[in-house]
This record gives sequence, structure tokens and C-alpha cells, in this order.
Amino acid sequence: MANFTLNGKAVSLEVDPQTPLLWVLREHLGLTGTKFGCGIAQCGACTVHLNGTAARTCVLPVLAAEGGDIVTIEGLAENDDHPLQQAWVEEQVPQCGYCQSGQIMQAADFLKNTPDPTDEQVTAAMAGNLCRCMAYVRIHRAVKRAATIANERATSQVSGQQTDATAATAGVGTFDPRATAGTVSHSAVEETSHGKV
Amino acid sequence: MARFDDKLAAHQRELAAAHKTSSSRGGITRRGFLIGSVAGSTMLAFGVSGAALAAGADGKGSASETLSAGAFEPTMWYAIATDGTVTVHITKSEMGQHVATSLARLVVEELEADWDSVKVDYVDSAPKWGYMITGGSWSVHQSYQPLSQAGAAGRIALIEAGAQQMGVAVESCKARKGRVISGDQSLSYGEIVAAGLERSFSEEELAAIELKPASERRVLGTRGNALDVPPKTNGQAVYGIDYTLPAEIEARVGKTLHARPVMPPSRFGCKVTAVDDSEARKVIGYRQTIELKDPSGICQGWLAVIADNFSAAMRATDLLKVEWSKGDSYQVDETAIQAEGQRLVSSPSRDNGSLLVDQGDPAPLLENATTTVESTFTTSSVLHFTLEPANALAYEEDGHWHIHCGNQQQSLLTSLVTKALELEEGKVTHHQLYLGGGFGRRLHGDYAVPAALASKAVGRPVKMIFTRPDDSRFDCVRSPSVQRLRSGLDAEGRVVASEHAAAAGWPTAALMPAFMAEAIEGGGKLDSFSISGADHWYNVGTQRVWAQQNKVAHEAFVPGYLRSVAPGWTLWAVEQHIDELALAAEQDPAEFRLALLDAEGRNAGKAPVSTGGAERLRNVLKRVMEKSGWSERDSLPADTGMGVALSFGQERSMPTWVACVARVKVDRATGEVKLEKLTSVVDAGTLAHPDGAMAQLEGSLLWGVSMAMHEGTEYREGGPVAQNLGAYQPLRMHQVPQMDLEFVDSTEMPVGLGEPGTTVVAPAIANAIQHAVGVRLRDLPMRPAALKAALSEA
Repeated sequence: MANFTLNGKAVSLEVDPQTPLLWVLREHLGLTGTKFGCGIAQCGACTVHLNGTAARTCVLPVLAAEGGDIVTIEGLAENDDHPLQQAWVEEQVPQCGYCQSGQIMQAADFLKNTPDPTDEQVTAAMAGNLCRCMAYVRIHRAVKRAATIANERATSQVSGQQTDATAATAGVGTFDPRATAGTVSHSAVEETSHGKV
Repeated sequence: MARFDDKLAAHQRELAAAHKTSSSRGGITRRGFLIGSVAGSTMLAFGVSGAALAAGADGKGSASETLSAGAFEPTMWYAIATDGTVTVHITKSEMGQHVATSLARLVVEELEADWDSVKVDYVDSAPKWGYMITGGSWSVHQSYQPLSQAGAAGRIALIEAGAQQMGVAVESCKARKGRVISGDQSLSYGEIVAAGLERSFSEEELAAIELKPASERRVLGTRGNALDVPPKTNGQAVYGIDYTLPAEIEARVGKTLHARPVMPPSRFGCKVTAVDDSEARKVIGYRQTIELKDPSGICQGWLAVIADNFSAAMRATDLLKVEWSKGDSYQVDETAIQAEGQRLVSSPSRDNGSLLVDQGDPAPLLENATTTVESTFTTSSVLHFTLEPANALAYEEDGHWHIHCGNQQQSLLTSLVTKALELEEGKVTHHQLYLGGGFGRRLHGDYAVPAALASKAVGRPVKMIFTRPDDSRFDCVRSPSVQRLRSGLDAEGRVVASEHAAAAGWPTAALMPAFMAEAIEGGGKLDSFSISGADHWYNVGTQRVWAQQNKVAHEAFVPGYLRSVAPGWTLWAVEQHIDELALAAEQDPAEFRLALLDAEGRNAGKAPVSTGGAERLRNVLKRVMEKSGWSERDSLPADTGMGVALSFGQERSMPTWVACVARVKVDRATGEVKLEKLTSVVDAGTLAHPDGAMAQLEGSLLWGVSMAMHEGTEYREGGPVAQNLGAYQPLRMHQVPQMDLEFVDSTEMPVGLGEPGTTVVAPAIANAIQHAVGVRLRDLPMRPAALKAALSEA
């Protein structure tokens, strides 16, 4: 019998204690937002929060999570409105999307401890999560944006900005991971007709 | 020369003809567009088969009755419900390119629908959809005309019906955001549909519909979000690996069992000689191990471990003891494959392939040239490594088989399953799901076969999942390649002749030989996916290009289509060779290219697809030179260099014009290359979904970086040496360079965007390394050890 808290609810189930937590979540509890990628804790697609910290679940026996507090992508925020989820939509991050639950859970742990990250800190925190579509430019940008959203929410209690994508055109894109904070964005300078709405 | 897409079009016509013949009544077999209001929802039916028109024409029933009676299967692209919801049926697979958003935009632009009322559904495979494939960066390009015209036809019909319902003249009406408007009056599309409408368009009428001028566009080329993004941020998107059968289906066909394949030591010719599952039996949930007998030949010497859940199947497989007699392919390694490639390119012939380009014999010109440059380029095996590993759920009900998985070529998948299960045609349906990466891996449907065989063996639904190493070993890898190029310059530094031979495994020969292209001059068949890119837009005088099939590669593995396919190796060679020629001519490599892009003769381009021809490649090159600071190239810091490369995308028949400049800094002591910056300018014509286009460019360029410097493995002892992360190292965030990207503002025909960016990066980096330290790397991927060795020799 395995016992833990999952997205705020107590769970008890009969399962082989050696079963990796990933498969308990996916097969026994039907939460498929957490993904199977490499099976050796190298890609990050299986990331959840265990006792408040990002953890890879594909190699973690459910036994090791006994009594723990587990949060998955499905339980990250009510109404799916975590600053990261909002930023992920605003920056149109996902391509195939398969890694994104893991990316978001990794970033959520990171931002909790580092609410005002530098570009280098974002890169270092996210380097362990593989995105096979290589949507790294947008992942990086969205983590920064989420930090801004979270800080704005904390100060003004007003959530959300615009719901459409970035404020700039898609006709021009720049990325500079070494730039100082705040400059990682689409350039609005060379707005073309692609930017009209 | 007939190319793959021509063959595909011909195949489509055959399918359509067969479909019409089987369903036509009353002698009317014309295609048309038909609109009828059925039980409160209007169906806009494009490409109606004969039955529908016949039913209306011979008085046996109105269009709406025909629709409600289901007496025909039209090709239906979208439906409008009485609440105004527009549901666009998507036959393409969603694998990260936001294809449904782009296709829906084509419809909505001409339909003048309200984007907020748009929904999409990813359809099951069915003959009415024609040949189902998502690849080649073709989707938007090939859908542009039919979906735009379907949208326009709907708008015309809604305006006509709306005008009638409002009692106003059609000429007084316009359609905007899902409403028909006349002066102060207006009706929503939902209201018009609820009141009922019928309208049919003949093929001639449909073809005569003129699309809006670009100045009237309100959707294409504008910003907007992708429909598939929100469910990919909250865990709700359902991929093949996530799919479970609904309880009501399991109540009829049995509860799903779970399986992991047991892979033989090599791809071909293995036979199981002994199985011991005594340890596997100790895993709770383990049921049995079965041998898969596969008449299609895809699974040779395979077993499947069956369990109550995948976790048990996975762990039980690791405890299984199996002995095989190994097939011959176990002995065929990358060294042998590349040795054969070297042999083929040193004396190319019709015994092993055909000519792609033949403008005469370059040999005499090369012998008389002032300078000749000859070089050989190689590339290693590359894995697709889709992050969602291969998987499929298969079951049979009442003699019909259902396959649930993400796939890029439903028509191939269903035919493979048909063959493996020895079924009659038409007994397999594929049900589409989100793809956790495609990149061409899921153009093959091979992974559905063992799932279906296992389900047949156990008489229950089976969901089979491959672990990462299983997936890598079963991958249809990008074949390693060898290329030889030789070109000559005259005394003025002009290129007078060029010959190019490329040898690799041929994906089309392996996966779908019926689609092989006819080579020029009756010279047999060739796989355009093994050589495309070599038929570039530079004027290099008398040009000859050979495609050679490396049959030794086919003994080791099934060569696959990997994002961009042939240009992944042909441009690696062509774009470095052009730089070598520029150096030999003592000219700036960018200026040298501008001179070769004279846009004359075959390089002048043809409207509407390649309007402007090489001139558009010149344009992106000039722009990337400005953006990248090319003029400062000769005043960079020590060991820092800039290199340029161009691409025309996948095919001359659908060119996407790409220019890329890479700036690198080389560490001479270690051979490490720091990719500092990529600057890229792309002309892809009209952008159906600009933000999605930019995402594809960002991702494809970084794929290019990954394959240039981080990926690559080799085939040895029956499989790729690298089978998981650790050994195989796709790009991570800390390796992303600075990027400065731009699309040319254009209203030309939309072309492809999923792939073109991948292929310019590696040659641009190689050219930059040469500029930085004077050493040229000719083997892909570029490894520090190779550069260090080359530097020590230099």
C-alpha cells in the first residue's frame, strides 16, 4: 500500500512498491500530464514536485515518495492560471508540447526560490530539461515573463496582462541569452505588416 | 522529371477516381462543392463525390436529405453549427508546427468567419481524405488553394442565403467575423445556418473563385495564438502514449493489456531460439511473453512482454533471458556502409542510382579549367529521438482494426497493419492523437505493427510502448552519407563546370518504393529524398548530379526521413564547396554567391511557386549580410570567424529561401567551438501563421545547431551506438547561441517552414570555422577532437 498526498488530496493505493512514481501517476491514477521520455532522469519530461522540490519520477520508486506531498502539472494551479502557465500561453512556448509539463514544473520550483532571476540563472536552472523541438528561446523568455507576472500579481493583486501572444511582431525575432535582464524579447522595432491584427 | 510530390499527386488522383467510381450513381461523377443544412448543422462539403450531386440531380432527394441520410462520403473540410461554431477537419498531424491553426486560418480568411468560433478536429483515417501524409513542409503550401477556395465558397453561399433571409440584394452584403452584413442589418452565420441553406458548386465554379487580394487579408500574415498551445500547458493534451480506451469500448472488446517489445540483436534476419521468463514472472502484473509472427517482415525475431500495466512490462522485459540466432545485418557497421559510399561516389553509375541533374558532361571542362577544386564530405547516422517514444494501441472489433497513436502517414500505417495482419483492404482505421515530436520518424507506421500483432495474439486490446533504447534501436535513422564534388574555375574565377555525387540509404526505396521518382532520360528510378538540395539555384556552368543508393546501409537498418532529409547532407557539401571555390577564386564567399545567383535560365523561377527564382535567394543573402555585419567580417577578434550558407528548403518545386550567417570562436587548445550567433533571413512567401512560422524557424535552426555540433552516432552491432541521453546529446538551453531572425515581408505563395532552417546551420558553422582558423571540417557532426586534430596538422 502506497500513501501520499497528490495535488492536495490523500491517496492510498495497492501497487508494487518498486513501481516508478511516474507510472503510478500515469497508469494507476490516470494523470498523464507527466511524461515518459528517457527513463533515466536525464530529459526532465517526468518532473513533478515532491515535498515542494522538483523531482524526476521515472526512476523514483513510489516507495521513496511514501507519505510525501506530490504536485503534478494538473495540480499546479487552480484554473491553470499559474504565472508560468499564463506566460507559456503569452509567449506561445510549446511546439509538440511533450516536454512542457516537465519544463513548467522545473521552472515553478526554480521561480519559487529565485523570484527575480537573471538570464544566466534561468539558463542554468532549465539546462537539465530537454526540449526536442528546441523551443528554448521561448522557454527562456517565458520563465522571465512569469517572474514578472508573479511579481506584478504580488504587488497589485491584479492578475494577467494581455492574453494574446507577445506584444511584438512575429516577423522579427531576437534572442540573446547573455543580455542583461529584460532584453530577451521579440524586437518591436522592425514591425512589419505581419504584426497587424 | 517526376518528383515525389508529382507521384503523390498522381496517386491522389487514382484514389479519388477509384472513390468516385465506387460511389457514383446517375452518371454524374463531377467533383463539386455542396452545402446543405442537416438537422441544425450545416455541412460545407468540398469535393463531393458523384453520389451527392446525382442524388440531387435526379430528384431522389435534396442535398440536405442526402447529407442527413449519409448517402455519400464527401471530402468535408469544415462544418458550421447553428451556434456559429466552425469546425475545421484536419487531416494533418499536429507535431509542434501548429498545423491546425495554419490550416484553419486559410479557411477562416476566405470564409470571413470569427476566429473565436473556430474549432479543429484531427480526423480518423478514411479513403475520402485521400492520401494522408504530413511531411515535406508541404501542409500549408498544398492546402492553400483548396482550403482557401473552400472557405470562399462558404462565404459566397452564406452571403447569398443571408441576403435572401434579410430580403436584401446580395450585392449589398459583405461578410465579416462570422456575420453577413447589409447596411444596418446583419445575421450571424449560426442564424443563417439555423434557417437553412443549400448551395452546390461545380468543379468549374469552384476553380473560378478568385481568392481575396493580399491587401484584403485579415487573418493570414497577422499575429494570433495557436489553438494547440493551452492544452500543452496544463497536462490536458492527449498524446498517443496517454491514450486509453473508453470504458464502453473495453466493455465490448476486453480490457487493454500492456506490452513492451523485446528487440532482436539486429534489424533483419534474427530468430528466437530460447526464452526464459522465470525471473520476469516475479514481477507483479507480468502475464506472458509472446513471439510475434510478422508476415510483413517488419518484426523479425521479435517478442512482446505482456502485462497488466506498462511499468510491469518494462521491468519484466529487463529480466527476460532470450537467445537469438543473429541475422547477417548484425555484422554491417557504419565503417562498412561508409566504405561502400566512398566506392559509389568515386565511380557513380546507373547500376546504383541515377542522374538528378544532367547538363552535359563536365569532365572535359574540368580538365581544361584553370583551377579545379575537389572534395569529399561525410555525415554520420542521426536519430530522430522524438521525446515521446514510439507507441501504439491496437484492437479489433467485428473484424475491423483500430490503431490509436500519433502518426504522420496514416495511409502507410494502415497498409502496413493490413499486410501484417493479412487483412482485406479497408479493415484498419488509424485514430490520430497529438505527436510528441515527429521530425519524420512518424512518417513510418512500423511501430503500429508489433502492437497489432500482439493484440491479435492475445485477443485483447494491446497498448505497446517502446522504452527510449527500444525506440532508438527501432529508429529509421538518417542514413550516413558520402559525397564527392568537383568543380572548375576559369582564369577569371568563374565556375565553368561542376559534378556532384551523393551516396546514402534511400528512405523512399525502403518505406514506399512505389513513390520513387522517374529519373531523367529514362535512367531508372531515384529517391529525390536522397539528393534534393544538390539541384541548387547557383549557376555553376555545366552541372551533373548523381544520386547513388548505398545498399549496404539498407542491410543494417531502414533509412528514414529525418527533418529536411537529403538537404541535411547535400547542403553540408554544396555550401562548403561553394566556399572552397570562392577561396580558390580569391573572392568573398558571400559576394561570390551573389554572382552565382544570376537568376537566369532554369534559375529564373516560375510563378506562382518560385516567382523570382534565384533573385529571391540573392535578396535574403543581401539582407543577412546587412543584419549580421558581414562587412566587419575581416576585423573580428582572433580565432573568431563568420560563415554563410544558403538553402532553398526542400524542393525546387517549393522553394523556401533561407540565408544564415554563423559567427564562431574557436579554442585552438581544445578544438571547442563556441557558436556565438546565428543571423538568418527567410523568404517563405505569405506566412499563414507568422508566430508559428517564427517558432518553426527558431526550432529548426537550433535543430541545425544540434545536428552540427551535438548529435550523431554510428551503426554498430545491429543498432545505433548511442541509444539514450548521455551518449546521445541533443542541444540544451545553455548551448543556444544569440539569434537574430527575420522573415521577408511577402505576399507570394506560402511555402514550407518546418524543415528549411535545419540545413543551413552546419555548413555556415563549418565555413565560419574555416574563416576563424583556416581549417575545414568535412565530417558531420563537427567534434572538437576532429578540429583539434585538423589544427595540429595545419
